[in-house]
Parts: sequence; structure tokens; C-alpha cells
Amino acid sequence: MKKRGKSRIVEYIVTLLIIITLNFILPRLMPGDPFLFLSTDQGQDVMYSEEQRQQYLEYYGLNKPIIEQYVLYLSKVIRGDMGLSLYYNEPVINIILRRLVWTFFLVIMSVIISTIIGMILGSISAWHRNSWVDKILYFKLIILSEIPSFLLGLILLFVFAAGLNLFPLSGAITHYAEFDNGWEKVIDVLHHAVLPIIALSVTRLGGTYLLGRNSVISVLNKDYIRTGRAKGLSKVRIIGNYVIRNALLPVITQVFLSLGGLVGGAILVENVFAYPGLGHLMRESVMIRDYPLIQGIFLTVSIFVLTANYLADLIYVKVDPRIKNNSDTESQ
Amino acid sequence: MKSIPIDVKMGVDYLLEEQNILEVKDLSVNYISREEKVKAVDKISLNIKKGENLGIIGESGCGKSSLALAIMNLITGGEVTGNVFYKNTDLLKLSEQKLKKFRWQEIAIVFQNSLNVLNPVLTIKEQISEPIKTHHNFSKEQIARKVTELMELVGLDTRWEESYPHQLSGGMRQRVLIAMALTCNPKLLIVDEPTASLDRESKTQIINLLNYLKKKYKFTMLVISHNMKTIKQLTSRLITMYKGRFVEIGLTEEVIKNPEHCYTRGLLNSSPELFPYKDLWGIKGSAEEDTDKGCAFYSRCPQSNQNCQDKKPELAYVGVERMVACNQGGIITFLDARDINKTYKLENGNYLQAVKNTGIQVRSGEVVALVGKSGSGKSTLARVLVNALKPESGEIYFLGEKNENERATKMIGGMQIVFQDPFTATSDRLSVLEVVTEPLDIIKWNTPALRKEKAILLLQEVQLPTTSSFLNRSCQNLSGGQRQRVAIARSLVTDPKLLIADEITSMLDPSVQANIIRKLKELQINKGFSMLYITHNIDLAKKIADKVYVMQDGEIIQKGSSSEVFHERGYNYVSERTESGIRSFGGSK
Repeated sequence: MKKRGKSRIVEYIVTLLIIITLNFILPRLMPGDPFLFLSTDQGQDVMYSEEQRQQYLEYYGLNKPIIEQYVLYLSKVIRGDMGLSLYYNEPVINIILRRLVWTFFLVIMSVIISTIIGMILGSISAWHRNSWVDKILYFKLIILSEIPSFLLGLILLFVFAAGLNLFPLSGAITHYAEFDNGWEKVIDVLHHAVLPIIALSVTRLGGTYLLGRNSVISVLNKDYIRTGRAKGLSKVRIIGNYVIRNALLPVITQVFLSLGGLVGGAILVENVFAYPGLGHLMRESVMIRDYPLIQGIFLTVSIFVLTANYLADLIYVKVDPRIKNNSDTESQ
Repeated sequence: MKSIPIDVKMGVDYLLEEQNILEVKDLSVNYISREEKVKAVDKISLNIKKGENLGIIGESGCGKSSLALAIMNLITGGEVTGNVFYKNTDLLKLSEQKLKKFRWQEIAIVFQNSLNVLNPVLTIKEQISEPIKTHHNFSKEQIARKVTELMELVGLDTRWEESYPHQLSGGMRQRVLIAMALTCNPKLLIVDEPTASLDRESKTQIINLLNYLKKKYKFTMLVISHNMKTIKQLTSRLITMYKGRFVEIGLTEEVIKNPEHCYTRGLLNSSPELFPYKDLWGIKGSAEEDTDKGCAFYSRCPQSNQNCQDKKPELAYVGVERMVACNQGGIITFLDARDINKTYKLENGNYLQAVKNTGIQVRSGEVVALVGKSGSGKSTLARVLVNALKPESGEIYFLGEKNENERATKMIGGMQIVFQDPFTATSDRLSVLEVVTEPLDIIKWNTPALRKEKAILLLQEVQLPTTSSFLNRSCQNLSGGQRQRVAIARSLVTDPKLLIADEITSMLDPSVQANIIRKLKELQINKGFSMLYITHNIDLAKKIADKVYVMQDGEIIQKGSSSEVFHERGYNYVSERTESGIRSFGGSK
């Protein structure tokens, strides 16, 4: 186990290093530079002259040789310093952490909702396999999951926010509102989050449904289910200890593996709903060529994906005794 | 052995007299997949007496496991009809909820050992204790004590309690399955393939364990297995199942010693544990598509006829405690010779009794070896059997009719003999073709062209060339091996039901001998004829014989299935007896 764990961690570190390097190179491959942007009309508030631009380039070290910039960047990142945002003039890490909370909120809520609903529908389908219930569920969910999340977001926005006026059009919280108590604030936050969460959940639902359905079907065909019945166990026990416990194994891994991807998926949805998460921030920072911020966001997302994968590894070992044993024998 | 057809119902009534723990009536199990309907169990009736050990054998897919599952009403994805009465309650009519009272507490099952039969995410302890928790009101300590007790009982170290199924070996898992089945002291224990996939030592241990537990708890046991040794050691009554039907029922020991259905015999003959010396030959073909018409075993049976294709056989008594489902009343006796005596008058005026009060039986589809040293009277007996010599007394029946005036050797589907010496048995002057067609020419079978066709076919079967130059070659130009093959082709040209092979390979070198023996056995399996194989070579007899007669001084001193004669009583027994026989025979000379 230890040996395997160690090599795993090395793998993750190498991956992270490659990502950091790419993270450093990619923005620099984009045409233009932040001060060029700030020097044009689109820069709105401030306008820089060519002289000022050079001055800033020097100040931020952007005119130094690329290798030097790289080494400097690397050493800073390792210390947790992602630099100052060029636009906001504030440490990148602070901006990101503030926004990350909202993205996390969306992603985790939609994962929980889509997994629970998908698993329940999948189990119903599996239980009534090949019946009309199964066929209808299957058909509808496949179609639903094929709709891109941003399109679904737009439709939801048009119908429920703009049309029926049931939900706010944008944001995560009512600005400048004063809440009497914490509870009201929670309600307000949820009110804002409903549509984005629905958009994200529905897109994910098809996948979890299919996985849940297949998993339950394969477990139901296993010999140990028959053993459980032969032993005269209660239905509750069979469903709980025999079906669900075994069928959940692949689902759990899938949840953790998909966490990373979902952050990416949230970018589009956040932009549709002008939700102040990481995705929304990313779009903004790309628009304004805010190198440190872009790099910081990419890095954060990468770390998030890697952590999710690592967690998936860990969790799977925890829930499936067979994996635990295999790694035990490997270390012997 | 004539079959005495007795109504099946009578058998059921007779069994009812004793207390039945389980009564299965007209049970059918059909699996429906897409458009196909697969009959796994086909209208079976069965009674299990309280306290008995019943075994079921059959190839995989014969429906034995389906039967076991149907008894506990555990079939899913299939259609089950009929009744399964457990102490007057029809288990097939109960809901899953009501079945809980019967499952495990009354009837428990030791499932066929596989990794998936145990829940992979629960520990051994949890899985053994589950039924106790469900069916009894025990405290935690009581349950823990019971689990420990059971694990010790089946010989499983308690340190495995917290292990998961995948951490155990096959043998240990089998013990877990047994311990689990015993948790609620079932009255009827179904054991499905308890020894499959176990090594020899574990096999013996599990069999001993089951026998011990059976004595201790006095449960009734239904054992399903394809391993004859397991069945032999665990059961007293035996059922052979083929394609969802019972084809033979009898006492285990008797059935193994003397099967009455060709299928049972085929299964026994395929078992290395019963015949450690013999070359293994499985039953020809495989279970085919189901037809409602006729006998299910028709296409694989060595003695099937037109009738078998149309008529579905029912179980009928063929002896005490023995029932067989066969249109011909079980394995037919081809040759039955009784009380044969033959004495030669020697030149010096003395008499030599070569065959004394000897009887021999050959049934359909079997290879009977008649062993004994030269001069023990084997060849004399063979000649008497084909009417080549006239005995002083004794009767020979072929297919139930007296064999006189070479009746059996002159007919198609009769009896033929191949002799030791191919050089005297086939004429030097005749061509290969003439030699082979001669038996047909004698009885004027069909047209000469058809005879030639048939001869060529047989020459091909014994792997001889069929070019016209070879066909017209005179026999004197052939080698010993070739000439013996010609002799075999000649004897098979009349499609005999019984072939007597008298030391046919003793003049050949070992390689040719091996080829001829294997060829002959292959022909025997495919064509389904029987063979009386006469030899002084015990090692050869061991390789091919299903039954053995040991002859000494003109008498049969020992007979039985080859597993009995060669294996159980031991090789030395035979060799010593025959060798001492030779000595005494030589002495009287």
C-alpha cells in the first residue's frame, strides 16, 4: 500500500509540474499583452501611453527573459503566491478563494442532486428492467443529458427568470440587501442558485442514471443476491446490504472523478447566469489578459481536478474491500 | 434383464409409505430468453425421504442446479410450474415474504462455490451471522458465539472472521458456505457441487466434513455433483438427469457398479476417479436442441432405434429399487452365454476341458475384456460364441435369440470376430477388396457395386488407402498392421452389433498396436457397437475395458466393472491370480 501510495503521489506531483509549466506558457502564447489591452479603448477606465506600458512591463518583470520569468513564477507558486492581479490590483489567491466558494457550492450541490436522483431513477429502471417504466426513463434521460448545459441554462433563464419571474436573472445574492437573520440570507442564496444548479444537475443526470442503472442491473444478476434470498433475509436487508452497497461502488468513484470536470462545466453555466464563480471570473480575466489571474484560475482548477482524482482513488479503496486487499498484496 | 414396466405412480405410492420430507410433483422450469424457450427441468416428480442422502448427477446444463433452486423457489427469469411440497406446504405458491419461514430454517443450500456467491462487501462473520440475526432472537454475544462455534465446526480458523470472501481460498470459501448453511439447523440441506474446483485433499476433507455433519445433525441431504467420487461417498440413492428429465434412479452403489441407462454409463465411463487406468472417452456428441418428440438422448445413444426418435420414454422399474427411462428398458444385453463347456480330445487320448461352466455377458455399447494367460480357454470360448466350435453344453443368446448355425455372424447387425493372426485370417490370394466384401458376398447383400462402396467406406474408416491399385493388391503384399486393418474392415462391413477381437494386436509392434487399439475404440464409440476384447495383456485391457472377465483354467474366476477389478481390488490381485492360474494350467499340461 505504501509503495503504491508513494508512486501515486510522485505521479501527481509530476502531473502538477507539467500543468504549472503549461500554465506559464499558454497565456504568453496569446497575442497582445495586458498593458496593450489597457492602452486601448476597450480598457475603459485607464489609458496607458507606450512609455507607461514599458514601465509596467518592467515592473511586473514581463520584459525579462522567458526562462527567468519561469523560474521566478515557479518559486512563487510553490510558496502559494500567485501574484497580484493586474486588473484588480489584489492578490490573485484572494480573488480566487472568494469566487471558488460559489463554484464549489454549485458543483457540490449539483453532484449531490444529480447523483441521488440519477441513482434512484437508475435503480427503478434496473428493477423494472425492459418494462415501459424503464424504457421511458431511459429515452427521456438520454435526450435530456444531450442538451448542452449553457443552452439549458438559457432556456431556464428565459422561462423561469425572465418569463415567469420566479427566479432572479443573475448573481449569487441580492446586492445591497439587508437580511434580518442568517436564514433569510440562506434562502436568498438558494433562490439565486436554483436555476444554475438545475442546469448543471440535468446535464449530469443522464450519466449518473446510466451508471446507476447498469450497476444495479449487474449487481442484481450476481449470485450473492440469490444467496441473500435463499438465506431468507428481509427485503430491506437485501436491498441495503446486498444491492446498494455493491452498486454504489462504481458510482462513488464516478462522482469523485467527475468533480474536476464539473468545475469546467460550471464555467459555461456561471457565465449564462452571471454567477460570481470561478468560471465567470475566468472569462473576465481572459478578456482583460490578466495573466496572473488566468494562471491562478487554471492552476486552481488543475489542483482541484487532481485532488478529486486522488480522492477517488482513496475512497474507492475505502469502500471496496477487494481493492484494499489487492494493494496489500502488492506491497508484500 | 427385461424391463418390467410398472406404472410410475406405483413407485410414488411406494415411496409415500415412508415419511417424505419433500415431494416434488410435475416440476418444470423454463427459461425464456428473447424468442427462445429453454427447458431446464421437464416435468419432474421426486420424493425425498426424511434422513436420506440423495444424489443427482448429470452433465452441466442438465437442469440439476435449476431443480435445486426451484425447490427453494429461487428461480428468477424463468417460469416454474408444478408443486414442491415441503411438509404439505407448496413452496411454489408462497410469497417471498412467507418463504422466509422456510428458507434457511427448514431448507438451506450450500451453493456452488464461486467468488460471487458471497457478498463481496461483507465480512465472513457478517455473512454467517445474518441468517441468525434474521431468524432468531439472539443477543449479540450469542450470535458471536454461534458464529465461532460454526467456524470451528467446519474447520475454519476464527481469525478469518473479519476477512472478506475474496481473501479466502476455494476450500475455505466452501467451508464458509457450509457453515452459513448450518446456521439455522436446516432439516433439508441441498449441496450443489461441493467439491468442484477443489484440489484432491480439500475434496476429501469436504466430503468427510459433510458426512460428519450429517451424522451429527441428522439432516436430509440432496447432493448435486458431476463428480462420481463425491456422489459415491455422500449418497445412498442416485438420480441421473439428462436434459431436465430423470433417466435413471437407483441405489448409488448399484448404479455405479452396474448402470442400466446408456447415459449413466457414459457419465461413469468419463470419470477418471472411477477409472484411473482407462483411456477416457466422453459421451459422443452433445446435448442438442430440444425436441418434444422422442427420447432426448436419442442422438447420443449407442443403441437407439427408430422407435426412440418418436417415443418419449417414461421412468419404469427394471429391477428392485431401479428405474430407467428408456424405450428399450435400459442397456440391452447383446450376448448372453451360459454354462458353456468345451472339451478337446488330445492325441494321447486324454481329455482337456478348455472351457468349464463358463458364462459371459456383453451389453450394448460396452467393451468387455476377457483376460487370462494363453491357454486359459479364452479363444476356445470365443470360437464357441460365434458357432465356430460346438460346445458339449451351454446356451448362447444373441439379442435374446439362440445363436445357432452361425445366425448371428451371418446377419447384418450381428456378431463378427477378428482373429489374432491376420495372415491366416485373410487369404493371401484374394485382393484387399475381395477380402473386405466377402462377408457381404456370402449373404448376398445388395448389389456388388454397393458392396464395393461399403467396403471402401470401411477401409477409409480404418485409415487404409482406397486407390484402385491398393484395392486390387493381393493381401500377401501387405504388412502385418495393414493386414490386421483389412481384417477389421472386413469384420465391420456387416455393421455388427458385437465385435469379438481375439488378441488382435498381439502380433503387432507397439506403435501399430496403439494405433489400431485407438482406432478400434474410436469406431466403437462412434458406431456404438460392443466389443469383446480378448487379451493376455492386462495393461491393454486396463486401457480400454469397461468390464472385465478373468479366465483361468477354463473358468471365469473374477468379473466386474474394470474399476472394481483393476482399481478397487487392486492390480496385484488380478495379476497374481492369473499368473498362478497359468502356473497351475501349465502344471496340468
